[in-house]
Amino acid sequence: MSATATTQVFPTFAEVYQGFAGQIGMLREMAPTPTKSDDQRLQGAVDTLIEETNAGEAVWLESCIHCGQCTSACHYFQALGDAKYAPMRKMDLYRRVYRREISPLRWLHRLVTKAVELADFEDAVPLIYDSCSECGRCTMVCPMGIDTASLVHHMRSAMVAAELVPPELAALRMEQLHQGTVFGSSPEALKNMVDTIRERAGVDIPLDKESAEVMVLSSAVDLVANGNGLLATARIMNHISVDWTICSDGFESANFGLLSGDMSLWKKQSDPIVAAAKRVKAKTLVIAECGHAYPALRWNPMLRSGALPFEMMYMSEFLGKQAQAGKLRLKPMEGKVTFHDPCKTGRRGGAFDEPRSVLKAMNADLVEMPNHKEYNWCCGGGAGIFLLADATELRDESFKIKIREVDETGADSVVVSCASCRLNFESGRQKNHWDKRVESLVELTAAHLIDDDVAVAPAAGAAS
Amino acid sequence: MSLLDFARGPAIHASLIILVAGILLRLVGVLALTRGADLSRPRDAFGNFKGYRTVFSRFWPSSEFTTATIYQTAMAYVFHLAALLVVVGIVPHIEFITSLTGFSWPGLPNWLGVAMGTLALGSLIALIIRRLSHPAVYNSTVGDYITWAIVALPLVTGLMAFAHVGPRYETMLALHILSAALLFAYMPFSKLMHAFWFIFSRAQSGLAYAHKGVRI
Repeated sequence: MSATATTQVFPTFAEVYQGFAGQIGMLREMAPTPTKSDDQRLQGAVDTLIEETNAGEAVWLESCIHCGQCTSACHYFQALGDAKYAPMRKMDLYRRVYRREISPLRWLHRLVTKAVELADFEDAVPLIYDSCSECGRCTMVCPMGIDTASLVHHMRSAMVAAELVPPELAALRMEQLHQGTVFGSSPEALKNMVDTIRERAGVDIPLDKESAEVMVLSSAVDLVANGNGLLATARIMNHISVDWTICSDGFESANFGLLSGDMSLWKKQSDPIVAAAKRVKAKTLVIAECGHAYPALRWNPMLRSGALPFEMMYMSEFLGKQAQAGKLRLKPMEGKVTFHDPCKTGRRGGAFDEPRSVLKAMNADLVEMPNHKEYNWCCGGGAGIFLLADATELRDESFKIKIREVDETGADSVVVSCASCRLNFESGRQKNHWDKRVESLVELTAAHLIDDDVAVAPAAGAAS
Repeated sequence: MSLLDFARGPAIHASLIILVAGILLRLVGVLALTRGADLSRPRDAFGNFKGYRTVFSRFWPSSEFTTATIYQTAMAYVFHLAALLVVVGIVPHIEFITSLTGFSWPGLPNWLGVAMGTLALGSLIALIIRRLSHPAVYNSTVGDYITWAIVALPLVTGLMAFAHVGPRYETMLALHILSAALLFAYMPFSKLMHAFWFIFSRAQSGLAYAHKGVRI
């Protein structure tokens, strides 16, 4: 049970998870069916890979020597021990296309290999979606340093063209593409949540200010399920007296373009956020605790962010910088705690020190897991996998590695800073009757604020 | 023309031409492809350069992976070092290289050359035993086994020729040179190209992660 989830305003995160799990179950029925012919789907997938393959991808595809070391780093392989899930196999189909279409030896490969078929892409779905969270841990051991996660991401783009995106991600991609929402998180839902927080918690959220120094994003999880996330964010922003706003035309962190592999939706979703931040003359854009939103915005390779008038940072980075500057006054935290680095903000994002600074500002007794920072084991729920019914066994079995890692620290609670990780931890906690508390960094911080003079129903027991 | 003359002459020379031309074709063909651009702002202005250290740091797995990788890594090191010493260290090889390039250097004593050859073959066998006994880990393809055999053949024939085992010496020597020719001609078309790719692959991953402030 999460200590910060006992606030009286919104349901606990355990309840949030249960409600959310029900909604996810309905996604499969809403999934679109393929609209193009099989030939068009295959050609689209092959063309996408040709289009996206540069020298970098080619070198990685050329370099694998089948030494098998990546299997020791992959949580899905380690959980099931099935040859199918070896990281090296996740690039096999990509390599076949590369060899026949792009490689300098393509004349030779066309003579000796079979042409790729749509069925090959269908067979690759469990490898490209269900069993790769693009966490990048296999790159840490690969003697060639191959970045399998990047190659898998290109395969996801090919899967979009082949109309083979798993139903849950396909349904959310369609919703975001056509309605601009995720789980119905519309501007009206944002307004309702802001009003609810003002009325029931007495915390003011400055929505749609004309200008603000800090523009903050929210996420679908916060807007349709876990109001505590946005409430905590607001309490912290008000605590540090920063000039901040949330924009109703650019507030959603979640990006199902990135998760499904749809590059045009990725851009379509990130452009309005950038435009809103420019309009309000923000100096800082704070990305909500939504792991993949960090690469979607901060590390978006299509966005020349050095030329933007604002800086983008993840919530944990923002909090860490505030803590380092002494602007967060926090009560001490009792008990041992460990921190889980989300793949997208840790190994594939580099935000390691800032979240730890926040915990330090609470005088937390932080014990690192045996594998942490760059070597952290993925929780198994990243890159949209938390949503996939077909990945349930992979997710549940691989989470046991995480349980073992956390248990070894002897900590009472594990702090995460990513909604997907948190949902996956909550799922694993409930399924395994695990005795650890799972905390969100932003909610934990809000629960430990000192001199918070806002009359809010406090996150009772949070400091216990 | 005897088999030995054929091996020493046209066979080995043709294989060396295929080796050099094939390596160039494959390296240039890949490296001349378009370069992808990452427009995002790096975490540190000059931090990306730190990525090049991955080329060197990846020569040994980090301690997190020691248990799982020590056998493979240790055997691979024994094989690569012993094989290198055999290739450039024993007197007949040096004489061959001198005939092509004019360069020469002192050779290893015979006993050391044989020891290195045996060590290289032994480690190669140790590696294939592990590959065969852990099918899920290696996901081996036909190409993996063909490559193993083509690498093992010059070692086997070389040791046999030295020890005067099998067919008469001239035939064994011819078979040894032909097996080396096969290895040279096969190299550019196989995973043995990792001898070059590792530098580029490690460097570009190191740079991509260093861009985000991550040391891999």
